[in-house]
Amino acid sequence: MEGILKRIAEKFRDYRVPGYYKKFDYRWTMVVDLDMCNGCGACVVACRAENNSATVGKEECRKGRALNWIRIERYVEGEYPDIKVKFIPIMCQNCSSAPCEIGCPVYATYHNQDGLNVQVYNRCVGTFTCATYCPYDVRRFNWFTYKWDKPLDEQLNPDLTVREMGVMEKCTFCIQRIRVAKDRAKDEKREIKDGEVKPACVQTCPTGALVFGDLNDPESSVSRMARNPRRYRLLEELNTDPSVIYLKRVMAEGPSEREG
Amino acid sequence: MKRRDFLKYLGIGAGGLGAGFVLGKASNPPGAKLIPYLIPPEDVIPGVANWYAGVCTQCNAGCGTIVRVMEGRAKKIEGNPLHPVSRGKLCARGQASLQALYNPDRIKGPMRRISKGGDFTGISWEEGLEILSGNLAKLDKDAPGLYMLTPPLRGHLNSLVNGFMAAFGSPDYFQYELFQHRNLIAANRLSASLSEIPYYDIENTKFLLSFGADFSSTWLSPVNMSYGYGRMRQGGQGKRGRLVSVEPRMSLTGANADEWVPARPGTEGILALSMAYEIVSQGYYRGADGGAWKSVLARYRPAEAAKITDVGEERIKRIAREFAETRPSLAIGGECVASYENGVSGLVAVNVLNHVAGNMGIKGGVVPNSEGFVEGARRPDLKTDRISTLLKSASEGRVKALIVYNTNPLFTAPKALDAGGSLSKIPFIVSLSSFMDSTTAAADLILPSHTSLEDWGDDFAEPAVGTPVYTMNQPAVSPVFDTKGAGDILLAAARGAGGRVADRLKWNTFEAYLRESWQGLYKRNRAMASSAPTFDEFWSRTLQNGGWWQEAEEPRKRAVYVSASGAGPHLPQSPSRFEGDEKEYPFYLVLYPHAGHFDGRGANLPWLQETPDPMTSVVWGGWIEINPKTAGGLGVKEGDMVTVDSPSGRVQLPVYLYPGIRPDTVAMPIGQGHTEYGRYAKGRGSNPLDMVPAKEDGISGEIALNSTRVKITTSDMSGEMVKMEGSTKELGREIVQTVSPEEFEKMPKDAV
Repeated sequence: MEGILKRIAEKFRDYRVPGYYKKFDYRWTMVVDLDMCNGCGACVVACRAENNSATVGKEECRKGRALNWIRIERYVEGEYPDIKVKFIPIMCQNCSSAPCEIGCPVYATYHNQDGLNVQVYNRCVGTFTCATYCPYDVRRFNWFTYKWDKPLDEQLNPDLTVREMGVMEKCTFCIQRIRVAKDRAKDEKREIKDGEVKPACVQTCPTGALVFGDLNDPESSVSRMARNPRRYRLLEELNTDPSVIYLKRVMAEGPSEREG
Repeated sequence: MKRRDFLKYLGIGAGGLGAGFVLGKASNPPGAKLIPYLIPPEDVIPGVANWYAGVCTQCNAGCGTIVRVMEGRAKKIEGNPLHPVSRGKLCARGQASLQALYNPDRIKGPMRRISKGGDFTGISWEEGLEILSGNLAKLDKDAPGLYMLTPPLRGHLNSLVNGFMAAFGSPDYFQYELFQHRNLIAANRLSASLSEIPYYDIENTKFLLSFGADFSSTWLSPVNMSYGYGRMRQGGQGKRGRLVSVEPRMSLTGANADEWVPARPGTEGILALSMAYEIVSQGYYRGADGGAWKSVLARYRPAEAAKITDVGEERIKRIAREFAETRPSLAIGGECVASYENGVSGLVAVNVLNHVAGNMGIKGGVVPNSEGFVEGARRPDLKTDRISTLLKSASEGRVKALIVYNTNPLFTAPKALDAGGSLSKIPFIVSLSSFMDSTTAAADLILPSHTSLEDWGDDFAEPAVGTPVYTMNQPAVSPVFDTKGAGDILLAAARGAGGRVADRLKWNTFEAYLRESWQGLYKRNRAMASSAPTFDEFWSRTLQNGGWWQEAEEPRKRAVYVSASGAGPHLPQSPSRFEGDEKEYPFYLVLYPHAGHFDGRGANLPWLQETPDPMTSVVWGGWIEINPKTAGGLGVKEGDMVTVDSPSGRVQLPVYLYPGIRPDTVAMPIGQGHTEYGRYAKGRGSNPLDMVPAKEDGISGEIALNSTRVKITTSDMSGEMVKMEGSTKELGREIVQTVSPEEFEKMPKDAV
């Protein structure tokens, strides 16, 4: 008995070492090229369709309770006629040292062996701690059990659950798609190929601004893009070590009239 | 009782009970059979998805799609990765089209109006088709007065409708939709000898000059062009392409531009021509007819144009030189330019600019597509096939019967045209729409058609991609409600009418018609015939791939030429006119299609209602965009309700303070303000078309949306605008980091 406890304790110690994910087979990463993103919002609807996100209606939207897992933020600088507008899609950054994971009292959000920040809906008791700790404001809370007007419910994706009242939810990098790809790869006794897994937002992005893949594979497209000199990560000074890498937008400073 | 007897009686009793139960259940719905999953339906494996290829019908781009179907239900729609237009991608509206299929407010079966002005009552399909054939049979054989109104259809449904109308001896087939690019077609016909919309090769261009073309959200072919935009910026080889946007209201495309040029509304054509003048006079033009161009363009010198357009002379010259020097460059003229009263001439001006800069018919410029090839299909005659012509005929009582399919003029035509009043004079209107939109609500008979995910069909993308794209649509799921395909309804009506009509339309189903038509295509088209040994194989391959298209080789070279003598007479003589006195109505009104609701058709999909607008983040309602300085002068702040008056009408909307708009201009999205159209769309905001005067472009017949001035007064009406954004300022957080173009040039490129 004591031996088992010791082994478990050792195992746990392994998991809590920063950077432990580097030992694992995959480290899922998303690269967002802000110079390609035009802010169209296709990813927002694609995510809704894939992940059974409920529509909450105007009144709930006013209270800031919309359940979208990805959003396009828009920043405006300057005054007429020298307006600069910048767009950035923001989803769960799947931080490798995630503040939300520290806070959760019931271990509903934890780090899995692929470097993903995972949310277990069945464990969640709705303390809201994770959302409070998250510096990126990407966690969404189900204030009610939302209903789908029939027959809109026939569209619901059977690969993942519909969340109920009192549960926190967030972007999962479309873990259901990762699972399917892993199963297939296992059946065929191989590794997942680069580009085989595409979350719904990446799949639909018309401009190709979003790219998804395994950072542990040095030849993958995300690994190549991660070496881009334009690379940065969101609020990097917080040391959350996000799994989403942004590439800087190319944009002249100052009023556009003076641009060459 | 002996033990043996007891068992015997027990057995009989149990057997009787069982038999009674079975008989009772079986006889309850007569003929109903319960088939166990031991004998599963074909191609259904629980938990395993099937993907069916089709075409998106949320706008006219013609994107190829694939639909994920599990146990007979559509779960997700994605771009068809093989399709040359969508390239595996879809926009927000395409993604949301599943909610059209499963919309709770769809018309669930045929209905007829009990009496004029009364309510609808559900009927059977037999009864509905009988009413339709009966009314068609009553029509005069020589002058039938049968009118048909559809959106601009392109595939074989178009040729079937033409065949249907020809069989009835009626020439009155109209195509109407708010954004149907008639101006673009007209401008290309007049100036560039192009009968189709060409492919604007954004992907390979290095300098994109957009005149109000918001291809990022709605214009022409948003998915394909956004793909091109991404490649132009980063994905392609060589230099990063630059984007300059000319428009009075910064659209989503303008927001992504490197430079935004807020020209005065209605003067964009003149601005384009002043750039063309600069290019010709500086000797960049390579053609032999430079002299002719110089004299045609002499009226548009940058110095004078600067005063008209409110863009500095030096700026015009600088952009013009850059446009000519950067190879290849491309100018596109979009909805904003096309929606003025002189929309065609503005777009002709853009063609001229492309021509003098040498962008016609080159890679990275304007690439011609091949001509239309569907036998029996036809394009609208720009002279006669106008919504105003149809409404005039209706008000004069010449329309005896009108068949409407999937177009909603009662919402999308300016109120000043009084479409409602005209349609009320038609004795018999039958609507084939899937939704209770305003026009369908005014019908006498409703024969609801399938949505595209339940129906057969095809589409011929326009613009294609330099090579023709034939897209096939097949039913992905069985009908959700008691509906029929639009083609099947027309064929059934023709059968019911009997006589020569039935003889000419002998097909039993639209599927059979489609298959036979494609067999004809296969026989005539050599490239198609060589792709598969038999038609059956070709057909199944087409269904599997979602259509047929040639491998994207080098785009076919076809000379496109704009002549000074041809384009000259169609150039804009003066800025476009706006109704209303400048003193009384101080603001130009600019209308644009909402990114999610387009011309209003997306407003019944809750996903689109709840998706924040890219430029304002407003959800579930409409708004009016006012420059913050102007709003300060008016004494209104964000969220306040204002009354907007034009000489033609009035709407009331909440204010959004929009920094990217000229102080003398206000803008509104089209899409909200439905009085019908289901629970998600009804009664949200106002329809800005209520203020638009009844004006159309003289050449093309396109509705002139941007043709009025408005005044703004505060309103005491209550209303609330819900926006999802907090601050639009970064407040030093460096969320969207940037590098300057100079710095970017110095960065090593091999790492990417």
